[in-house]
Amino acid sequence: MFWKIVKNDFSRKKVITTAVFVFVTMAVILSASAINIIANLTQSISELKDRAVPADIAQMHAGKYDQTEIDNFTNQHQEHIAMQETMILLNIEGIDIHFGQNETMAGTVQDISFVVQNKKFDFLLDLNNEKLDVKEGEIAVPIYFMVKHDLNIGDRLTVDLEGNQAEYVISDYVRDYEMNASIASSKRFVVNQSDFDKILESKSGELEYIIEFKLKENGNAQAVLSAYIEAGLPSNGPSVGAMAFMLFNAMSDVAIAMIIILISILLIIISAYCIKLTFLATMDEDLREIGVMKAMGISRNDIKKVYLTKYRAMSIIAGVMGYIISFPVANLFSGNMKLYLSSNLTGRLQYGLTLIAPLVVYLMIVMYCKKVLGSIDKISAVEALRADIMEKGKNHKYNFPLLKNRFLSTNTYMGFRDVWKRFKLYRLLLLIFTVIMFIVILPLNVFNTMNSPDFSTYMGIGKSDMRIDLRKSETISEDFLKLQEDLRNDSEIEKSAAYITCYYQAKNPEGSWDYISIETGDFSIFQLNYLEGRAPVGEGEISLSFANASPDGLDKKLGDEVIVKVDGVEKTLKVTGIYQDITNGGKTAKAHTSLGLNEDAILWYIVYIDVAPGVDIKSRMDFYQSAYASAQVNDIQEYTRQTLGNLIDQMGLVVIAGMAIALIIATLITALFLKMLLSKDMSQIAIMRSMGLTSKNIKQQYMAGMLMILTLGIILGVLASRYLGELLVSLVMSTMGAARIQFVDIAWQTWLLCPLALFTVVGFTVSVCCNMSVKEDISVVLRG
Amino acid sequence: MNNILEARGLSKKVVLGKDNELHILKNIDLDVVSGEFVSVMGPSGSGKSTLLYNISGMDRLTSGSVKLNNVEIGGLKEEKLADIRLNNMGFIFQDINLLKNLSLLDNVMFPALLAKNADKSGISQKAMKLMEITGIEKLADNHITQASGGQLQRAGICRALINDPDIIFGDEPTGALDSKSASEILSILADINKKGTTVMLVTHDVKVAAKSERILYMLDGNIVAQKKMCKYDEQQHDIKEREESVMKWLVENGI
Repeated sequence: MFWKIVKNDFSRKKVITTAVFVFVTMAVILSASAINIIANLTQSISELKDRAVPADIAQMHAGKYDQTEIDNFTNQHQEHIAMQETMILLNIEGIDIHFGQNETMAGTVQDISFVVQNKKFDFLLDLNNEKLDVKEGEIAVPIYFMVKHDLNIGDRLTVDLEGNQAEYVISDYVRDYEMNASIASSKRFVVNQSDFDKILESKSGELEYIIEFKLKENGNAQAVLSAYIEAGLPSNGPSVGAMAFMLFNAMSDVAIAMIIILISILLIIISAYCIKLTFLATMDEDLREIGVMKAMGISRNDIKKVYLTKYRAMSIIAGVMGYIISFPVANLFSGNMKLYLSSNLTGRLQYGLTLIAPLVVYLMIVMYCKKVLGSIDKISAVEALRADIMEKGKNHKYNFPLLKNRFLSTNTYMGFRDVWKRFKLYRLLLLIFTVIMFIVILPLNVFNTMNSPDFSTYMGIGKSDMRIDLRKSETISEDFLKLQEDLRNDSEIEKSAAYITCYYQAKNPEGSWDYISIETGDFSIFQLNYLEGRAPVGEGEISLSFANASPDGLDKKLGDEVIVKVDGVEKTLKVTGIYQDITNGGKTAKAHTSLGLNEDAILWYIVYIDVAPGVDIKSRMDFYQSAYASAQVNDIQEYTRQTLGNLIDQMGLVVIAGMAIALIIATLITALFLKMLLSKDMSQIAIMRSMGLTSKNIKQQYMAGMLMILTLGIILGVLASRYLGELLVSLVMSTMGAARIQFVDIAWQTWLLCPLALFTVVGFTVSVCCNMSVKEDISVVLRG
Repeated sequence: MNNILEARGLSKKVVLGKDNELHILKNIDLDVVSGEFVSVMGPSGSGKSTLLYNISGMDRLTSGSVKLNNVEIGGLKEEKLADIRLNNMGFIFQDINLLKNLSLLDNVMFPALLAKNADKSGISQKAMKLMEITGIEKLADNHITQASGGQLQRAGICRALINDPDIIFGDEPTGALDSKSASEILSILADINKKGTTVMLVTHDVKVAAKSERILYMLDGNIVAQKKMCKYDEQQHDIKEREESVMKWLVENGI
């Protein structure tokens, strides 16, 4: 019996039921996909970790070192350290690596190192997560470069060595747990030991070392690191921990999963809203039936059961469909994961965990229905037969009389005042339009911000046209001076500034010494936006990155003092400013040239350059690249693009997906809302038609009201994404070292393109929906 | 005298479901003279209201023709038909049917603001004047929930008159009112008719019919009888006599 009523109800309200069904299904698909992605990510990272056995501490070092000292240190700290291994990195310039038709890897911001497979841990794997075993004459190339240069297994790679060339055949991809991500600035190419020795013999490339420690299960990384530095062991490069490796691997996929979860939460809210709308619309229609059922003596619970059964059935079907569809959808977003983390995403975990999504959605829908159905309790049989539950308490002062309207047509004015008069009804729609705009604008703003030249601000560098990075070499000091001289004499260069970054020891709040990298130079030339304070311009001044100034770092505020050891001498510096930096783990500092250098701990030399007006940046870049073969010359936008790499690409995907979802939701919600409104207003529309209004006049009223709500929604949505979204993104980014992200807002996209798309879709939907409703005889409605 | 309305071969069928068609109006011919006051009587389901809705262009005919002021309205496009409803006719409903979110004054003015036959101040003056005549001028800014049924029906009449229509249709305009309000509303309609506006009402009430000058009686979708009387004048005629005469006519015809 109940099933029959439910079935009839379905066929009677096809449009509205289908729309609710679509929303519930979409909510299940998206939330299940997000859970699926996270389940896959967790599983594949842990599997990759098991196979690769990454280091818990990796200390980079360039220059001399003594393995016996490290071995002694390892023996002394056996309570913490399980294994130690030192990997030799042979840094090769991108320009020296040739492939395809005279192409090279020049221009990359990544450090390219040739290595041999480790013996104890930190293994480099192939795409099946098996340890790479590279034969003589072969090479395994990191995934990053395989994708970037579209290389295939079997392709040939030639490397320029001092005096001769070495040729390799690409035998595999390198899946590198520690350095997979584009944000990790080095990439390891794997060759056979004998090939490696040949390069060493030819004295090509610069040597660098990763001194790695694998800790015991309860080993303390912080204790080992402090002891290591105190022992004065080689450490003139950054040290990276297990957490950072994990973050690098997970970041872009987690970001995508988070956004999908956000969208699916919004969809669940929208579904709940649709159900409420359905109830409002059908309650009006069904009130009479409920009254009759009550008058017939059917109990409240049984009446509720009729309604609840419908939504239970709908949620179950939507849940099953959503669950099944979520797997191919998750697959769509897993391309990145499959390549970098695991080729085989068939773990059982996903099937179990993904079930959470349909179950939660089902419970939420049923609970919400029960809440809405509570109103049936309050309706007596007589009331239900007579009253219009929506129209109560109309004893307010009369506002917006028609005579007050001076500028608008009467129908447009009627549409606007209807929104005001029934704002309670429209406010939910306003919320949805706001959310829709939020879904569109937030990813767009993030995408534009990442793509903008101003993004360099969050990387701790002032805005400039290009930068030149000098690599460590025998002649680096001379090259650096010569480069500055060349730049001064180049009339096509407007201004340039040179900076040297060294490691220094700084006193931390506990009174012990931490290693921090400090960039020295003249910071008045390329202005950086400071969160607080200003750049260090004189002796005894320092500015800190946000992460360095935070309690997890040196815990300093503006005006505080920092004690830094320069060539063994302690110097006290005053903090003049705090800036944002997401590079190098977020912990950097800047000081005036007068601080002096730690000659044996120089990390890198960088020159920032602005070309003169009208000069082509590319031509200057080419010039300096050819003049300084070992230098990396990049324009700043390209630099950020390469560093953020696939995160930007994936964000682009999210922008498009967000836009598509927003437009679909906008269409469905508008249709659903109008359907509800038109069925509520049926008698009022008939009255207006009887008075001589055409369907066009009536359409104009609804169009005015809906577009007014849309306009408000667009404004609120943009404001929400600008302030709330900025806050959310800043919150996430503060873990990486940027505390206050200011979105780059491209006005024509925000205020023209996106609103235009929404206006078109909503306007068209209103137009179509209103057309359908005015063809029948007027008396049918007026005479009931 | 000119005919304001000419209907020929009027037919209306409604499809209720598969193989279930209802023939509500059956080949009706009807003329209404300009300035006439016509009542349509008959039992429930005889087709009285359907006749009214079809000759006023609210509903679409199944077959036949209706000419209003010599304009065939049967085949008119929606826009043209709406224009005629706006400018040439007024309609008064039993259920009153005012717009919910407008005050009484705005309800009265709304059709005039759409028709744009006068400026806003002219429209508001005219609306206030009509409300004064019908005795509801003090309620102009009241919301429709703040007025009685009789007061609302007066506003409905004002709305029907605001664009100076040639003809007013009324579907049991006094049906939902108490006897005092009903009598007052009827007097207002009689006055309007005296000033030259054609009035055509559907009614069950002999008191209403007694004030008209022609009564049509409908049964099963046909006009089966009609009675002509002289135009009612409160000063000259005894309403009781007219009511008795109508009653007698109904009985004589076995209705």
